[in-house]
Amino acid sequence: MTADFKIKNGLDIPMEGAPGDFIRPVPLKGTVSVFPSEYKRVKFKLLVEEGDTVKQGGVLARRKDQEDFLLRSPVAGKILAIKLGDRRSLQEIVIEPGNTRERESFTKYTVDGLLKTSRAELLALLKDTGMMALIRQRPFNVIADASVTPKSIFVNGMNTAPFRPDAHVLCRGKSGELQAGLNALTRLTDGPVHLCLAAAKSVTPDVLTKASNVQVNYFDGPHPSGNTSTHIHYLDPVMPGDSVWTLRVSDVLRIGELLLNGAIPATQTLMIAGNGIDLEARGYVTVTTGMSLSSLFNGSLIEGETRIVRGDVLYGEKADLTGGVHFYDQGYVVLPEDRERHLLGWYAPTTEMYSAHKVVPSAWLKGKTFSFGTNTRGSKRALVLTGIYDKYVPLDIMVDPLSRACISKDTEDAIALGILETDPEDFALCTFVCPSKTDFGAIVAETLTLIQEEGF
Amino acid sequence: MNNNIKETIESKHKEIEPLFHKGGKFEKFFPLFEAQDTFALTPPDVTKGSTHVRDAVDLKRVMFTVVVALIPCLLWGIFNAGYNYYHYSGMEANPLMILFRGTLIVMPIVMTSYIVGGIWEVTFAIVRKHEINEGFLVTGLLFPLTLPPTIALWQVAVGITFGVVIGKEIFGGTGFNILNPALTARAYLFFAHAKDMTGDVWAKFRYFDPELGKYVDGKTGATPLGLGASYGGQGADVAERLSSDGFSLASIFGGLIPGSIAETAAIPILLGAAILIVSGVGSWKIMAGGVAGLLGTAILMNFLPSGVVGDVTLTTWTQVPFIYHLFMGSFLFGIVFMATDPVSAAQTDLGKWIYGALIGVVTVLVRVTNPGFPEGVMLAIIFMNVMAPIIDYYVVRGHIAKRNAYLRKFSYAKG
Repeated sequence: MTADFKIKNGLDIPMEGAPGDFIRPVPLKGTVSVFPSEYKRVKFKLLVEEGDTVKQGGVLARRKDQEDFLLRSPVAGKILAIKLGDRRSLQEIVIEPGNTRERESFTKYTVDGLLKTSRAELLALLKDTGMMALIRQRPFNVIADASVTPKSIFVNGMNTAPFRPDAHVLCRGKSGELQAGLNALTRLTDGPVHLCLAAAKSVTPDVLTKASNVQVNYFDGPHPSGNTSTHIHYLDPVMPGDSVWTLRVSDVLRIGELLLNGAIPATQTLMIAGNGIDLEARGYVTVTTGMSLSSLFNGSLIEGETRIVRGDVLYGEKADLTGGVHFYDQGYVVLPEDRERHLLGWYAPTTEMYSAHKVVPSAWLKGKTFSFGTNTRGSKRALVLTGIYDKYVPLDIMVDPLSRACISKDTEDAIALGILETDPEDFALCTFVCPSKTDFGAIVAETLTLIQEEGF
Repeated sequence: MNNNIKETIESKHKEIEPLFHKGGKFEKFFPLFEAQDTFALTPPDVTKGSTHVRDAVDLKRVMFTVVVALIPCLLWGIFNAGYNYYHYSGMEANPLMILFRGTLIVMPIVMTSYIVGGIWEVTFAIVRKHEINEGFLVTGLLFPLTLPPTIALWQVAVGITFGVVIGKEIFGGTGFNILNPALTARAYLFFAHAKDMTGDVWAKFRYFDPELGKYVDGKTGATPLGLGASYGGQGADVAERLSSDGFSLASIFGGLIPGSIAETAAIPILLGAAILIVSGVGSWKIMAGGVAGLLGTAILMNFLPSGVVGDVTLTTWTQVPFIYHLFMGSFLFGIVFMATDPVSAAQTDLGKWIYGALIGVVTVLVRVTNPGFPEGVMLAIIFMNVMAPIIDYYVVRGHIAKRNAYLRKFSYAKG
């Protein structure tokens, strides 16, 4: 495949622990949980009580601000517990799966039929099934607002971060679901639907590269060439007042499954990787949404303290073994929690710990992969070095001035410098390479929230 | 073996750590503990937030690399101070004696700077409750290397105090200062004790004369810049006159001449520059910009007459071959080690080129047009430190305009 866009800025971190490419089904054990708390800044009204029975796809809650946006159960069973957090916010609904196969049915579509379905009908169904949450919107990377027609829709089929699932693996044998989902997306915008794929030489044509009714774009280059912000920047940049919708290929597959089967998908396929988990367990699993992580990881974690990261290690969320598989999850990376101290490690000429900086000898070793733990590998200091961050961001963004605008809460300058084009994940590499151990993602995230609340 | 040492240190630190925590006996001295603890062993901290892994680099390594890059200059400075001591006192000496004498001259200056500056650094860290910044390792060595070897130790102490307190800490500490602290310290001494800092006293050492049986003052040795400014007159061939006073291009490049401790020789400075550039710690853009600005301006100056032109008095420096400007005085040292201080330099890529180039331009302008100051590097860098935020401001505005043009292209395409 020839690249349509060659990205120069960025860094591929040579990290050990990549996933194998098998998909293994994991049988459901124990209870299933739905986590309203994973929908950040969205409030739900609870519609069930402890002891109620629900069908698969039965209604559990609805959004307080949009009555037709529902939260449904992935399995049929009995409500075992409802957990509330601060200020009685809904945290978790625990369901004990029953033996019934009863399920809520929705309209079934055909792949071609979807091309003639109306936008209103599709949006109503997506909200009614709660699957609308899979469609995100830029700027701000929030759940898409169905009342706005986006100027274009971006589907991300790349995995440059360590580690994200390979869309080509996820799509195996799922051409129907993929095309159904993509066809539905074409109805939601007046503009194009962009499918962005890696321009690797070895990619054999498959359902992804042969997808129709969408514009397939190939990107080449180091991470973050696979980030959605990068794709949008080169193809249809977001300006103040614009709305662009974004999905991952795994999301499109689930929407396709809903549309073809007329039922809420009970399972999702997840990637498991990282050197904190046994080699045999690194691969892909199909699990029931909401299954507990302890039964998923049962016995496969390495000895010692480990950290499970939802998402990738550059931009992810710490998960707890007591938690469960979230609706948004598409993979986990497990790392050893590394608290080991090294004698004079600050100047020891290490070749075992990776660095992108030439001042560390390991940066000169090409082609070597490194093991990573969660150690900060240095202490936090004032920001001193400048001009080193821009080469890790492929957007037309100057990181130093932008972060300064963010720190001083100058939202006007931050917007002029292009913050609306970004998502905090785009700055994860800056955080990674920073010698002062500054968290640029957090700095940008805070300002994005501020702009969103204040309006612009 | 290593593991044993490591375990011993680790357990000792664990034992005494509670004393430095809140409520502990030495709570106030936590910054000292932290500095020592993280010096001996890398911190046991694990990542918080969304990015779960980190690069092996940290600020200690970056800063210490600058110190390493300065070591060739320090060694040269020691040798050169010893050499000039014997040269101007007219005594014979072998290289070992020269090194020994040089060490006796230079190391007290360096130690004074580190100790006095270190005390200030720690005091502020304790009062402000922030960590001790490794940047001081650089400041504490940079500053003495810019001083003449004849400087009095109390002057070193006063200078570094001014540099750390006024140059850095009153702005809020490392990362917030506007001027390079080492250069601020030097500028203070330059203006407050001008006669000890410039001119032809730089090689004046007191030495013991065995024939007279007492200490006498050594002869004075001028620097080439000081000499050049003193020639005056019209149309003088400066290169020739310098050469007859003992300063050929080769001797200026070689650096076995009077001058500030580390400024005289090109080779150790270029070695330091190579370390900074290869390790990516120093900005090659600033260095390249500086050299280009200096040479460009010096070439232009060669076309000017010397003497009074209109109401400007040009020194004979207009006539010096442009290449002399590069190796004479402290330009190389300044552009490699001082101008590249990332906190006080311009921070944008384009800004770094402009900032470096203007340092070169201003250096030549001061040398050529101001008979009062033979050397312009220090003033040029301080001046451009002050101007750096303005350069960055316009570079960023330009970037925003370019961004907007890129975005507009898409909205036009849509019609």
